[in-house]
Amino acid sequence: MSASGPTPPGKPQVKALNCPGCGAALTLRTFGNAVTIVCDSCHSILDATDPNLQILQQFKVATDECRPLIPLGTRGKIRGTDYEVIGFERRTIQVDGIAYSWHEYVLFNPYKGFRYLSEYNGHWNDVSVLKALPEVHASSPPTVRYLGETYRHFQTAKAETSFVLGEFPWQVRVGESAVVTDYVSPPRVVSSEQTGQEVSWSMGEYMSGKEIWKAFHLPGDAPEAVGVYENQPSPLSADTKNIWVAFAVFLLLLVVMMIGCDTLARNEKVFTGDYKFDSNQRAESSFVTDDFELKGHTSNVEVTTSTDLNNRWIYLNYALINEDTGQAFDFGREVSYYHGYDSDGSWSEGGQNDSVAVPSVPAGRYYLRVEPEGDPGYGATYYSVTVKRDVPQYSFYGIALLALLLPAILLTWRSLSFEHMRWAESDHPPVGSGDNE
Amino acid sequence: MIRSLYAVYGVIVMLGLGTAQYRGWSLATVNQVKNVPRSVRDNPGSYRSVYSSYHHYTGGK
Repeated sequence: MSASGPTPPGKPQVKALNCPGCGAALTLRTFGNAVTIVCDSCHSILDATDPNLQILQQFKVATDECRPLIPLGTRGKIRGTDYEVIGFERRTIQVDGIAYSWHEYVLFNPYKGFRYLSEYNGHWNDVSVLKALPEVHASSPPTVRYLGETYRHFQTAKAETSFVLGEFPWQVRVGESAVVTDYVSPPRVVSSEQTGQEVSWSMGEYMSGKEIWKAFHLPGDAPEAVGVYENQPSPLSADTKNIWVAFAVFLLLLVVMMIGCDTLARNEKVFTGDYKFDSNQRAESSFVTDDFELKGHTSNVEVTTSTDLNNRWIYLNYALINEDTGQAFDFGREVSYYHGYDSDGSWSEGGQNDSVAVPSVPAGRYYLRVEPEGDPGYGATYYSVTVKRDVPQYSFYGIALLALLLPAILLTWRSLSFEHMRWAESDHPPVGSGDNE
Repeated sequence: MIRSLYAVYGVIVMLGLGTAQYRGWSLATVNQVKNVPRSVRDNPGSYRSVYSSYHHYTGGK
């Protein structure tokens, strides 16, 4: 794309001319501003500055040559200014032997001058020529700074003009080439085009096809965007930041809730008893404890068993029984503790103590039925049973933390995948990206 | 949109956590039995736990 300064204000006018090559009618929409004009019929590139419209070049096109998605002569409003589409070109780069083409539209406003739109696979950019030179930093990857924003090098390629139509504010030729370098900072891209010693800079800002269709009042729907474009803003980046901020707030609430529940929980010892179980005795081992009062709202009851086990086990069948209603909470706990020494060194397994929280126990008078079991021949095991009311359960905080973390991690992963897809197409693909992605 | 959804989801998680703490929920496996006869108080052997004669660990390393 070549730069062009503001045009002298004048009333927009259309002048009818004929192509000297084929005699077809030509329409000059930027009278006095275009440098070249292309005949739609015979594809002659004509010198628009010459009153005789000298033929500069003729090129052949395939019969299936693409047509502009926005027809020449279409008017629309871009960022509050009316523009008319006056030119269209296709440019092609070769990467690993594969041709990639994009399209550029030349827009004209008699007061504002020229502006451009580029389109690739349904991704659009509103492009304007830079008024100042960006600072280029030869870091790795190279960056440019423009208006306080840093743009990271994305790709450098030799682009060849492969099709032109309409009017252009520069000497356009099919087959002409330029080295195009893109630096991105979504949703913007700063591009340099070098032809010989001449370098021109432009800036593009990403637009969706829907916005373009609306701006130019085009019929139907815009073609769907395919893949991730170099400066396409990630639809998830803002959400990812927001969700982590929200996660931090919930984490703080979680800590506050933990401190609050810890402070407010009764954590009240309501019963304790010491017992002996002799597995050599054949007599009925089950017994019941004295009754105890569970106060307050429905809450948990923690039953802790502490033993003197040493390389053996004991199994305790517990039933927490409401004396008045006959409702029982039945559960069994195995306590085992083994330890020793082998070729790997010392080892141990299990423990001498065990705790369990019986969930949602209503208030009332309760007693425990305890039925210990163990291998015959082990002899006596001494153990104590402690019952506590309304004990904080920290496992739920862990579950809540995971539940809050999971969506944030998933969203971050999706956002990173989006960036991975973006940079996989660049000269700086992420590690693990295939060359031909 | 996603932030709002996450906020609603987070509030539900926090409410669930609060309810779990207040109501004394637990991850333990407990079997509830209704109408246990009063005679158990005097004759503990007359009651048989559903966990009675459950698999018992006999190992060690």
